[in-house]
Amino acid sequence: MDIQTLILIVCVVISASLITAAASLSAKEVTYAVKLLLLFIALMIDIIGFASRYYLYLLAPLFTQRRRHVVISNEDPYWLSASQDAILRKEGESFVATVYITIPVYRSATEMSDEEKLSFSTQVSRMVGLVRNPARFTTELRVMNKDSYIQRLRDTINVAENEEVELQSKNASQGELSRVRGKLTMWRNMLESLSNSFSFELMSYVAVSADGAKEFEAVSIAQQRARELISGIGSIFGVQPNTVTGNEILRFVEPEFMIPISTVSEQISRGVEKEVI
Amino acid sequence: MDPLGIIYLAFTLLVVLIGFSMLSGFGSGITFDIALFLLSLTAIIILALNWADFIVFPAFTSFLNITFQPARDYTITKKQDAVLKNVAGLYYATGYLSANLFPYIFKMEAGEQESEIKALQAADVWEKIVMSLNIPFKFHVLSSGLDVQGFRDELEGARGYQEFQLARAYESKANETTITEIQRKISVIQARIDKISQGEKPIATVMYLETTAVAVSEKAAIDMLNAQINQLSVAFGSFDVQLNRIVGRELYTLFKFSFSLPPTYEKMTTYFQLEG
Repeated sequence: MDIQTLILIVCVVISASLITAAASLSAKEVTYAVKLLLLFIALMIDIIGFASRYYLYLLAPLFTQRRRHVVISNEDPYWLSASQDAILRKEGESFVATVYITIPVYRSATEMSDEEKLSFSTQVSRMVGLVRNPARFTTELRVMNKDSYIQRLRDTINVAENEEVELQSKNASQGELSRVRGKLTMWRNMLESLSNSFSFELMSYVAVSADGAKEFEAVSIAQQRARELISGIGSIFGVQPNTVTGNEILRFVEPEFMIPISTVSEQISRGVEKEVI
Repeated sequence: MDPLGIIYLAFTLLVVLIGFSMLSGFGSGITFDIALFLLSLTAIIILALNWADFIVFPAFTSFLNITFQPARDYTITKKQDAVLKNVAGLYYATGYLSANLFPYIFKMEAGEQESEIKALQAADVWEKIVMSLNIPFKFHVLSSGLDVQGFRDELEGARGYQEFQLARAYESKANETTITEIQRKISVIQARIDKISQGEKPIATVMYLETTAVAVSEKAAIDMLNAQINQLSVAFGSFDVQLNRIVGRELYTLFKFSFSLPPTYEKMTTYFQLEG
């Protein structure tokens, strides 16, 4: 008998017994207020018994902690496997490993004929139908991390500024100076326009999980399922999907990778600007 | 409603019935009225929890100002509609919308002109949505293979029921429209049975949207998330599909799905019953 069924039975038995006791006690032994209190407690237990079906994960911490911020778990939600190709999570007594696979399909509907569009939809349907065990297909529109690109632009601007100073000190011709200044203006404009708005990238991937009694067992089953999916997706789209490894997995799991921290300051300053101006 | 749900409902309502049958034990007058009120209220709460727990439970946590921490650095808000993560003083709020765009049962429901038109337009509509949105989002399709024999038995049961309805319609000399409608239902079910006979595998899908907003305070992050959810609802409205904000236990389930998926289809469906 599982814990949920046991809780239901215990709640039903206790509440039924309390109601019977409350109704059976004679008014000489207890006041009606006590009878109603017993009835109220019994009905609360009955409601808890019903709610335990869906909310068992919350009810136990709610009653034991008795505070407004209820801690269900204080542990990290997952950890990276030793082989660096899956994330692991403990569910009861078993381990669940999840493997991520990228799908390198870059096609645009604007470049497709009607037949190609229909065929692409069929391919997507076939891909979704590949699975035996649950798998999650995801398409993500994420904010690009432009940090390194912005840094490159800044370096280029610095080089151009040095060039301009050097030319001025050498009393170079006006034509030479105009050419460098023009280049400098172009790079500065590009930096400004790049910082003014987000750039987005679209990517598709699949997540597949497997459970096992040991970590390595869960990981190897998940990898096996991933290989099956890779060959299926590869044959449908004619591309080579890859398993994601190492810190790259964080991009698919953590919310801060959806909007990289480096771009957040830009968003916040734009928000403040909107409020102030 | 699933059998387990019926068991829970039956047992807990049985307790209320026991209470009603013993009402005379609570005296008369005001005490009787209070007992009657408590029993009726309990029955209403149980029924409400059964059919609309995604309204009742968030209302309860909002009223008592209760928040939950499902894992380190994560918090589920009192309205149970967003998961917050604190990263170096910044708050990332994540919310979900159910969006079952295509009713996949087989790889492709061939022979239905409507689904062919939908499939043809899908790529264009999708691209327009992606181009028009300037917020990050994820579109998830959680897919699982179904038990072939079980699904076939279910279809055969449904076909048998429709055939019985057809026989009754003939007996009662029902109008032509009713008979045609039943015949259409039978042919759809038969087409699905034929697909299984040809070796095709039925699948079940759950589709949902996820978006994340970031701000320097919890409130600002939640407000921004709400605005993004509205934007997504408007954009995906062009798919002509009902989009529902996911709250309560389903939000917690989807949060867990970010890190691990259920191992079987049966486990997957137990989480999605009301809002799916």
